[in-house]
Amino acid sequence: MSVYITSTGHCLPGNPVNNDEIENILGFVHGKPSRLKKKILQSNGIKTRHYAINRDHETLISNSDMAAFAGDDCLQSSMVSKRQLGMLSVATSQGDLVLPGFGSMVQAALKLPDIELNTAHGICSSGMMALKTAYMAVALGEHNNALVVASELASRLFKASRYEATLSNKVDFNAEFLRWMLSDGAGAFLLQNQPVGRCFKIEWIQGFSHADAYPVCMSVGQNDADKTWQDYSTYQEAEAAGALLIRQDVRLLDNIVKLGVDGFLRLLEKGKIQVGEIDHVLCHYSSDYFRGKIFSLMEKAGVAIPEEKWYTNLYERGNTGCASIFIMLDEFAKTQHYSVGDTIICMVPESGRFNNVYMRLTVVES
Amino acid sequence: MTSQPSLSDKALTPLGQQCLQGLMREWFQFERALGRIPIIQRLQQSQFTLEDYQKLLLNLRQQVIEGSRWITRTASSFDRTFADIRSEVIGHAQEEHRDYEILEQDYINSGGQPEDINNYPRNAGSEALHGFLMYRASQSNPVDMIGAMWMIEGLGEKMANDWAELVEACLTKAFAKSEEHMAQHCTRFMRYHGANDDHHMEKLYKMIDRVCQTDADVQNILRTARVVGRLYALQLEEVDYE
Repeated sequence: MSVYITSTGHCLPGNPVNNDEIENILGFVHGKPSRLKKKILQSNGIKTRHYAINRDHETLISNSDMAAFAGDDCLQSSMVSKRQLGMLSVATSQGDLVLPGFGSMVQAALKLPDIELNTAHGICSSGMMALKTAYMAVALGEHNNALVVASELASRLFKASRYEATLSNKVDFNAEFLRWMLSDGAGAFLLQNQPVGRCFKIEWIQGFSHADAYPVCMSVGQNDADKTWQDYSTYQEAEAAGALLIRQDVRLLDNIVKLGVDGFLRLLEKGKIQVGEIDHVLCHYSSDYFRGKIFSLMEKAGVAIPEEKWYTNLYERGNTGCASIFIMLDEFAKTQHYSVGDTIICMVPESGRFNNVYMRLTVVES
Repeated sequence: MTSQPSLSDKALTPLGQQCLQGLMREWFQFERALGRIPIIQRLQQSQFTLEDYQKLLLNLRQQVIEGSRWITRTASSFDRTFADIRSEVIGHAQEEHRDYEILEQDYINSGGQPEDINNYPRNAGSEALHGFLMYRASQSNPVDMIGAMWMIEGLGEKMANDWAELVEACLTKAFAKSEEHMAQHCTRFMRYHGANDDHHMEKLYKMIDRVCQTDADVQNILRTARVVGRLYALQLEEVDYE
């Protein structure tokens, strides 16, 4: 059975926050301005983003409520009622609660009765995992439709007090890096087994994970190789040891570009896509820095896609992890020019332990 | 009459392009294989010791020595229809044929004994790699050796760009405070090799276009690249089986 993305929605909390305001909200660690901030922001190119916390570090909207807003936004512009929904498939890097699954909390917030539920866990690629599961459920005929929601509330990890709670007086580069990269937001897609108006047919979704060949590159829960956050006697000790900070091993990051292009070459080899067929590329690169690297490696391989075909809203909406590709396609669908028959390639590389997911869409009209 | 393909053609031909894409895939696959080898995992996760590094150099030396032999053999196996390729390969061999001396000095600077590295035998992987390369290099007009050169040059880049720094960080921890500066005197082979390899890679791109005349050429180049990757990985796995 064919599957279509017939509606999209998003939730970006509060007003856009520009680069000068970031530290006023996240806080000055030990009262001092960051020395790295400018350099990292210059490299990622992000100009504005949204936070679900205020400068007093109060959470203004929970992760599950943001997800529910995005879900409602998506359903409102569709003709599917909550009662008709067959499945809810959600993703996040970190829910509001450790347990139960994020899906349960989002279902309750959305007030969806008697639904089949799926929660995908991971980082940036988890949204695509949730999407693939829902796509397969509809393709198999298990459900006529499914709501997919991806939501992130990373800012709580970046409060100055989190860094001050460690025993170390200075913040190491790997622990600070993501503070200037990630922000909050949620996005949603409605999948149906019939096209409705102008919509996107999902041709395929394909992931390649390489966790067996690479060390962890982005994580929460570990600071040294022997101990994870749950192995300390108390959470307080874990936090003091820096095991609860979100970290990026920046030395390993370049691998994501190579693996991203490797996956693309595989899809070409399998005949799943040809470069000349692509009309639009929506790629969740986390930073402008990687955009250039991806371009040059694709050019080297002779599979360059002209720059004007690439669309992103990273610079205005920020890097919202697994929600990014949802927020991106939502804005693309509502603001960009595209025609029936156009081919769209979505790419979501994740540096957590290197998982890359790709999707091919065709614009159709019923 | 079709013109003789030449090295100066800049735009990649469709076959050259297909070959380059295949070679990139082989390389990425090889890089993942490297990431599964215990000694490389230790290096990437900062668990690498001075002893590990000395073992690594001991085990790499034979392959570096033999490297100049298979490259010169490759050159001599090209007849006059590939005279331009032969010149390139000879130049390459000339530049690298004494690299092993730098490696030996690195080993000694890291605290190793000259007699140990001079007497160290080929491990099982080096033996297989050398055997395969000499066999392929001995064939008439061995264009598939471009695949071998691609992988070995890629390794040079990887050593210089990734490994050298990781090794130095681990050695700095292993050396006494007063000798910390010595770490960078132990990685000259990795660093130097990579600096040279940049320009070797440029030459390789040109050669790919020149030698890919048929589908079979492309397949042969890719197969040799893959075998070299598998055997090189075996060579590194053998480091821990001593």
